[in-house]
Amino acid sequence: MPIHEQSLIRPENIKTHDKLEIDGIDVSGHWSTFIESRVVTDYNEALEDEIAALPGGEYIHRCWQCGSCTNSCTVNAVNPDFNPRYWIYLIRTGMESELLRDKDIIWQCISCNKCTYACPRDVEPEGVMKATAHWLEKKGHTPKSPSIIFDELFAEQVIARGKIEESSIIRQFFKRTGQPLMQDWLVAMARGLLMKLPVGLMRRMGLAVLFRPRTSGWSKARAALEEYVEECEREQRRALGLGDGKPE
Amino acid sequence: MTEPVLVVGGGPAGLAAAQALSGVGRKAVLVEKEDRLGGAPILSGYAKLVPTGEWARDAIGGMVGRVEGEAAIDIRTGCTVKEFAGEPGAFTATLSDGATVEAGAAILCTGFTHFDSVNKPEWGFGTFPDVVTTTQVEQMISSERGVRCPSDGRKPKRVAILLCVGSRDRQIGREWCSKICCTVSANIAMEIREELPDCHVYIYYMDIRTFGLYETTYYWRSQEEFKVKYIKARIAEVTSDGERLIVKGEDTLVKRPITIPFDLVVHAIGMDPNVDNLLLSSIFDIELEPHGNIARQSAYGGMGRTSRPGVYVAGAATGPETIDDSIAQANAAAIAALSAAYSTAGKAA
Repeated sequence: MPIHEQSLIRPENIKTHDKLEIDGIDVSGHWSTFIESRVVTDYNEALEDEIAALPGGEYIHRCWQCGSCTNSCTVNAVNPDFNPRYWIYLIRTGMESELLRDKDIIWQCISCNKCTYACPRDVEPEGVMKATAHWLEKKGHTPKSPSIIFDELFAEQVIARGKIEESSIIRQFFKRTGQPLMQDWLVAMARGLLMKLPVGLMRRMGLAVLFRPRTSGWSKARAALEEYVEECEREQRRALGLGDGKPE
Repeated sequence: MTEPVLVVGGGPAGLAAAQALSGVGRKAVLVEKEDRLGGAPILSGYAKLVPTGEWARDAIGGMVGRVEGEAAIDIRTGCTVKEFAGEPGAFTATLSDGATVEAGAAILCTGFTHFDSVNKPEWGFGTFPDVVTTTQVEQMISSERGVRCPSDGRKPKRVAILLCVGSRDRQIGREWCSKICCTVSANIAMEIREELPDCHVYIYYMDIRTFGLYETTYYWRSQEEFKVKYIKARIAEVTSDGERLIVKGEDTLVKRPITIPFDLVVHAIGMDPNVDNLLLSSIFDIELEPHGNIARQSAYGGMGRTSRPGVYVAGAATGPETIDDSIAQANAAAIAALSAAYSTAGKAA
């Protein structure tokens, strides 16, 4: 194992000077390396409340920093920088700039929920990780992940029609994620279908593309769902200080 | 004023209550379900007690000797209360041996149950012979065989004590702090270092609660004089490489992963409510508090009252408690029972 403490030093804080003299003593060069201390310039006192306002983050206030989540973590076993216990501490103390340093690994949580069962305080750390990844997206620190885009499309269709139509989901998913429609596997699948010619299935699929099935009497359910989703969105945006504007 | 007081349980609290009553010339009937008196310190073979360092067999054994020598104390061992009826000043208790006891009041000193470590399987108790509990280490010391690894009898070179086993853990429905385990663990750590000076002792903690004066006499003394090492980490799992135990966790203060071998792992087990509490609650018609201990009615006036007039409670039956506080509560409950009896007698006259 490499010297662990080295990982706590940030490259940008390591200072060497080609030519420097302090009180008549030459401190030039590599042998006189300085390490600047880490400075927290401001705390975001609202950070804990913001995470707690997002689904999954509700119980973050219970944490007492025992480290059971990090201990049990599947991702931590592979990447020691993935440390839920530490992020919960940063969030609760409002150290937003520190948290943002890890924005590119927080989403790596695979939701195995081992932490959920290890936590002696029922913080539900897996939910906190989800809420934190969500927070990063909403605040614009990270782009939407493909899985979030897929979930959104799926939910949009269900809300609109009470049913989903696979081909349109796939087409729109590729469009929103900037991928070409002509994917190798998709072409192979279409070719397979044509070769085996399951007439009944293809007719149903064709009709579904043309006529877009909808659950009968869906309009009331649709209105209620849309209202609820909008309300949740509004509340979350307000909690995150993003204004009470319309959902994105 | 001739009715005896029924004392249920022969541990430190029960012994103290019976002794207090006989000390002022009142009769007591002391009912104990085991076949000998002394409670957990004697029956579980505790070693040196906090805070005086006296051996349990001397300190609590001495209490047993004094109670057994009192003519006014009627001792019924191997016996439990089956039925309990009546009013303050005139209760009738039916015992498991068929005898009935007329009593003016009852003091419940029914104590606690040690947490069973098999309920936290990830920490290896019941899987690896060298994972033991604080109670077992107490027995190793009090039997004068010394602290040894149960697997092969060798002297351990490295010992880990895990705190909060069966305490402060929502996963197993035990949210309370058991109050004494931090201090007991520091005490055991010092005893191990005294017996085996070459053995390193590590205590893995979430918070240290060596409350009050124990801060200096146990927490700091164990570090300064005995070089016991405290590491802020809740251990994830205890496994084995076939030779030694492997303890895994995260040193949370420095964000450093721990994978470290030990010869002996000690669980600092907590205090559960007595497993008989539901039964006691129905026999004596008294309320339990939400954790399952016997509920006290007042913290400031009328010490030791339960929800039923004339029935009092003292010691660890009310929740995790130290031996010296259990004894103090028993004396307070005895006084409360006596003063209630005198005031009832005064009104009657």
